[in-house]
Amino acid sequence: MDKPIYSNSAPPPPAKLSPGDQSLRERELAELSEMKARLEEANGVLEVRINAKTRALRELAANLEKEMKERTEELRRKVAESENSRVALMNMLEDMEDLRRRAEEEREKTMAIIANFSDGLMFFDARDRLALVNPRIENYFSINKTESKNMIGGRISDIVRFAPMSPLGEVFAGSLERVSRRELSLNEKTVFEVSVLEVAGRAGKIGTLLIIHDISREKMVEKMKTEFVSIAAHQLRTPISAIKWTLRMILDGDLGPINDEQREFLDKTYKSNERMINLINDLLNVTRIEEGRQVYNSVVADIEEVVRGLIANYEDMARQKNLNLSFEKIAPVIPTVKIDLEKIKLVASNLIENSLKYTPAGGKISVTLGEEDGNAMVEVIDTGIGIPAEQQDRIFTKYFRSANAIKAETEGTGLGLFIAKNIVEAHGGKIRFVSEPGRATKFSFVLPPAEFN
Amino acid sequence: MEKILLIEDEELIIRLLSKKLAAIGYDVSLAMDGREGLEKIKQIVPDLVLLDIVMPRMGGFEVMAEMKKDEKIAGIPVIIISNSGQPLELERAKDLGAVDWLVKTEFDPKEVAEKIQKYIRPTD
Repeated sequence: MDKPIYSNSAPPPPAKLSPGDQSLRERELAELSEMKARLEEANGVLEVRINAKTRALRELAANLEKEMKERTEELRRKVAESENSRVALMNMLEDMEDLRRRAEEEREKTMAIIANFSDGLMFFDARDRLALVNPRIENYFSINKTESKNMIGGRISDIVRFAPMSPLGEVFAGSLERVSRRELSLNEKTVFEVSVLEVAGRAGKIGTLLIIHDISREKMVEKMKTEFVSIAAHQLRTPISAIKWTLRMILDGDLGPINDEQREFLDKTYKSNERMINLINDLLNVTRIEEGRQVYNSVVADIEEVVRGLIANYEDMARQKNLNLSFEKIAPVIPTVKIDLEKIKLVASNLIENSLKYTPAGGKISVTLGEEDGNAMVEVIDTGIGIPAEQQDRIFTKYFRSANAIKAETEGTGLGLFIAKNIVEAHGGKIRFVSEPGRATKFSFVLPPAEFN
Repeated sequence: MEKILLIEDEELIIRLLSKKLAAIGYDVSLAMDGREGLEKIKQIVPDLVLLDIVMPRMGGFEVMAEMKKDEKIAGIPVIIISNSGQPLELERAKDLGAVDWLVKTEFDPKEVAEKIQKYIRPTD
């Protein structure tokens, strides 16, 4: 590569001279030779320069080639990379399509569930506008598809103005407030249970779901059951009062003399009959509570007088069971209350009787009358068997009797506390208890002062 | 002798109560249903009526309503003796002029007699 490509070193051809010009020619020759030498010298310099340039050019070319190769390589790599990306992108698109299809399937499934759901459903969007109605709603309110479609986009206040949907206005005064299992009677035979719940997604409230559940059948069965109990109890009263009257008159000697043994048996029979009367009265009270036709005749009363009177009734029974029954007024002033005397007596009696029943001999029952937050408060505290911790939340449930209570006393309807709670709450009061099983129990009820009732 | 008319369809109750009242010293007449009772009220004009509510032919409420129409008997005190004692029934009886309401399971013949004595005393 170092061999010069281009050379000027080849001598030029000799010039032809005429003989007459010998000296001139010699001079000229010398000049020419001189020029030739100069030329040759210049040529040499040029040659060096050209060769240097050539080398530089050659180097440049080589570098260019190298760079080209590198660039090409890089390009190839990039193309390969982008091909990979393209494939990845295609895969992603495919996956997305798959997801979309699955989401669509899920949506269809959900819609099918909503359409065929046994409850009526109305879904309101986040702005409280109706977005969806299922066919069950159309069914329940006897509206057609067009009418149901026309409701879409409306607020609940618009919807209840549409006559067939107007019964819902009973539940919603204007806005879509949250309700839980509110009963709604459409007519004598149809009763719905309306619930409203907020539907929240990951990003917060999506909308509100109104659920309408048909409870007509349950209501009818419940009513029949209550009616049955009511009729049975009333029918039972007639023969039972005849038994009571007969036994009483025999025991009073109105039907002739009886001997001691007869008296003992008849007395026990009379007491059994009294228990039966109490049971029937409890059942009747429960049916009245359940039918909502418990009538309260409230009068302004002195609760102290009521409680003292009751204590007097139970003193004999307490003595017989060797129990200490006491009464104490623990606040200087007891608020005057407005109460149905018979019913509040029943509440206090139920609590005192429970204490008498479930407190072992030698125990103590103290009844106190006090005041709490301006309310009159009656407390019945005993040293009895108590209520098992795990059963405490069921104690006011109808027909419920705790396991230890059943063991201690087989007789009992499990209605007393249910009735007591209903009566106290109907007076605007509250009933509560604390119990330490095996040691003590305290039942308290408060009644609001007369002016607030 | 003070006259009491007992209008009641249950035989056992009639026999027990009339025995008790007679022993105390009242002149007790009986009627087995409301219609018969109303006739006897007009005929005897008793000093007090003991009246059951649920009876065949004519119920206690109807008897009281009829009594109100006839001024000769309108003022006779009526004590209801019934198997039930719904507040609404009590209210209705009061409006019709009943002076008292006794539920049979809550009272016995002796207590019924005591109640009666609040309104008419037996002749000694």
